[in-house]
Amino acid sequence: MAEQQPLPWLFPYREDPQQTRLGQPILRPFVQVSLVNGDESTTMLDGLVDTGADAILASDLLADYLGVDLADHEGETQHAIGGRTHLARYKTISLRLHPHDGEIHEYREWQAQVGFIEDWHSYSFVLLGSVGFLDRFTVSASRFAQAVAVEERDAFDQRFGVPTA
Amino acid sequence: MEPIRTDFRGYEGQYVAIDARSGEIVIADKDPRIVLEKAKGRNHVVVRGRVPHADEPIYVGLG
Repeated sequence: MAEQQPLPWLFPYREDPQQTRLGQPILRPFVQVSLVNGDESTTMLDGLVDTGADAILASDLLADYLGVDLADHEGETQHAIGGRTHLARYKTISLRLHPHDGEIHEYREWQAQVGFIEDWHSYSFVLLGSVGFLDRFTVSASRFAQAVAVEERDAFDQRFGVPTA
Repeated sequence: MEPIRTDFRGYEGQYVAIDARSGEIVIADKDPRIVLEKAKGRNHVVVRGRVPHADEPIYVGLG
C-alpha cells in the first residue's frame, strides 16, 4: 500500500455531465470513493457530498457488483429523490476515500450503513450524507474556492470549539 | 483551485469514466456494468455516471 498522505485532502469541484444552467457549467462537490464488501471492491466512483442528506445512498447496481445480499438487509426506508420515491435497503459495508488524483492504493477506510436504491444509477452512483460520512470527517465545501476539503473529524471542534447550546 | 472540466459532448446516453487528474473521458458504454468492469483496478480512473441528453431536466442533486 502506498504511503498515506495525512488529511486534509483537497478535491477540486468537478464538472457535472448535465447541461449548463443559464449558460454556465454545473460544478459539484464530488470526492472519490470506493465500496468494499469482503474481498470484493468497486473501482473508484465519484461520490456527491450532500450535507442535506441524512445517509449514504448508492445504486443497487453496486450491491449486485459487490455480492451484497440485499434480501438480508438491516432495514429499509422510502426516500424521495428527484420527485420520485425509492426504496433503500441498508447494509453495513466498508467505504474508502481516495485522494482527488485517483490513487487507487491510497485511501482512508471505514464502515458505514449504505442505503442501496433499486434502479438508481443516473449521473453518479453514490451520495455521501451525514450519517456514515459527515460524522466521519470534517468536510468543507466552497464554491468560491471551487474545492472540497476533507479533514479529520475533530477538526471542526478544534477550529470552533465545542458548541454548548 | 481550478475545477476539473470534462467535455461530455458526444457521450449522451452513455455511462462514462474519467481520468481523475485531467477530466478526460477514458471509458464510455451504454451499459454501466461494462464501465465498472473496465475501470476496475485502474489507477486515476473514476466512474462518473450517465451523460444525459440535452432535453433532460437538470436535477438539483443526483436525481
